[in-house]
Amino acid sequence: MLSVRDLTVSLGPATAPVDIVAGVSFELAKGEILGLVGESGCGKSMTSLAVMGLLPQPGPQIRAGRVLLEGSDVTQLQPWQRVEAGHGRMAMIFQEPMTSLNPVRRIGDQIAEAVRVHDRVSDAPATARARELLELVRMPDPAMQLSAYPHQLSGGQRQRIMIAIALACRPQVLIADEPTTALDVTIQVQVLGLLRELCNRLDMAMLFITHDMGVIAQLADRVSVMYAGRIVETADVAALFGRPRHHYTRGLMDCMPSRNFGARRLPTIAGQPPAPGTVGAGCVFASRCPAVREPCRTADPPRAEVSRGHEVLCAFPLDDGGPR
Amino acid sequence: MNGNAVLDINDLKVSFKVRRAGRKYQVRAVDGVSLSLAEGEVLGIVGESGCGKTTVGRSIVGLVRPDSGSISFKGRDVTGAGLRDMRLNIRMVFQDPYASLNPRRAIGDSVAEAGDINGFFTSRAGRSAAIAAALTAVGLDPSFAARYPYELSGGQRQRAGIARTILPSPSIVIADEPVSALDVSVQAQVLNLMMDLREQLGLSMLFISHDLGVIGRISNRVAVMYMGRIVEQAATRTVLDDPRHPYTRSLVAAIPKPDPSRRILGAIETGEPPSLFKRPSGCAYAPRCPLASDRCLVDVPELRSVDDRALACHNV
Repeated sequence: MLSVRDLTVSLGPATAPVDIVAGVSFELAKGEILGLVGESGCGKSMTSLAVMGLLPQPGPQIRAGRVLLEGSDVTQLQPWQRVEAGHGRMAMIFQEPMTSLNPVRRIGDQIAEAVRVHDRVSDAPATARARELLELVRMPDPAMQLSAYPHQLSGGQRQRIMIAIALACRPQVLIADEPTTALDVTIQVQVLGLLRELCNRLDMAMLFITHDMGVIAQLADRVSVMYAGRIVETADVAALFGRPRHHYTRGLMDCMPSRNFGARRLPTIAGQPPAPGTVGAGCVFASRCPAVREPCRTADPPRAEVSRGHEVLCAFPLDDGGPR
Repeated sequence: MNGNAVLDINDLKVSFKVRRAGRKYQVRAVDGVSLSLAEGEVLGIVGESGCGKTTVGRSIVGLVRPDSGSISFKGRDVTGAGLRDMRLNIRMVFQDPYASLNPRRAIGDSVAEAGDINGFFTSRAGRSAAIAAALTAVGLDPSFAARYPYELSGGQRQRAGIARTILPSPSIVIADEPVSALDVSVQAQVLNLMMDLREQLGLSMLFISHDLGVIGRISNRVAVMYMGRIVEQAATRTVLDDPRHPYTRSLVAAIPKPDPSRRILGAIETGEPPSLFKRPSGCAYAPRCPLASDRCLVDVPELRSVDDRALACHNV
């Protein structure tokens, strides 16, 4: 469905590029939910914007790599060119629904606008479809809500509207960038449940970006962990949580406050991620890795498949993970 | 008041005037909250956005003026009192380390500001030494005193914010979502730091957060707030392991557990969040509550003592 190969996104002049996404590859199958997890600045949002063709201009550029949607490379196409070429069936939702919605337009009009662009229909059928979409995202009283303004809705409802707009193009791939981070936990659980139900019902694939390992565990089929612009580990969700192989993944799990309430202190990962442009030779995690060895500091780590479908970017992966 | 309480809040009510669509509303953010904080204790206040938890914290440090109720510090009524002498004793850590430090002041000057205003320092050398000691206590090199906020990472800024808080040796720290803006790996470092400081300096702490995971880690007791009222209050383990109020139950159940074999999506019902403009006449939680009965729609449940906890519910 979606295949991203060696995607590299860089800032700065072509003569001295700073890679903020460095050789990211992943595959997304029909109906699958891939979680992309990492801390701020790791390049997960830049990856999603590059895949969508929404990198801010002027700004970061795709320096290398390909984004294949059903086999055709869309890397060099603008979003409107994608729609015209029939590759428009990819949509994105963002963290803060209030800043993505137009505050002075009724939500029915905002959904119908997306329908008109993609289906090239007139107002009446577009509005009818907008109402269907509101039902699809389980808005109560869809007919009434068409005439509501964004400020009259709660945060969770606004995110449902964003999802409805995204679904207007009948996407095969939905990219969701931290869509529940601004929501309360009781509402987050509803929106996550809705997204998963929609993926099942519409056979839609989803790339779900988050910093929250708990959300990943609840939602994703497969997980890629990103650090300093690289994917350092990819595995099925059960394998990743059951037996993490990269030291960074393990560290991220250990420092979650909701794990092991009993322990007195939280385990931490010492230090901080490297700033873009300061990455030298060797493994990007070497300076913080608890199991660092001499070769890590000089040689790039190999990408190895440690078991079927479980890839790790590490010269000395954890093998004592065991059942946790 | 309790024997060893450093802070006692009694029936605190705070409301705000809000204008919406040309109409004026009186929004009651805090609707009769009573709390007491024992010496050396960490009391967590948890609840969703808009529940009034931040307003409770801000009332204590005098950033908002309560309508009624009282706040006393070590037995002395300080409700709306002269803030100056309280400022060094009750101090606040804010959520956003990017917004809470003046970008044009060196870190050292920000850390020393409250001391400067209140005549805390007797000499320049003493001031420098106090800044260095505060920075060292939070794990920053004293050379950070000369740096500016833009040179610091989020975690370092929050450490600087904590240094500013502890410099005048306060008795009470009000921490309002102090780790919410930080990445998980940095969040763990800052939480550990706060636990260490609490022990070393004998601080009492009011820890406000929407994250039960974080609250569960740092606090001894937890108060759960919903629409301006406390609905359940007990020892942390009691609240997390055996929540009784239907709202607390839903809050605990909705935490995304980092365990793919225990999936909850689609399995729990949490209802729509309330509007502060349309406060229900009975129990504020009744419209979302699976246990709501006729009585809940008319009668506001009082917080009463049940077994090992305080609980405000007619039906449990």
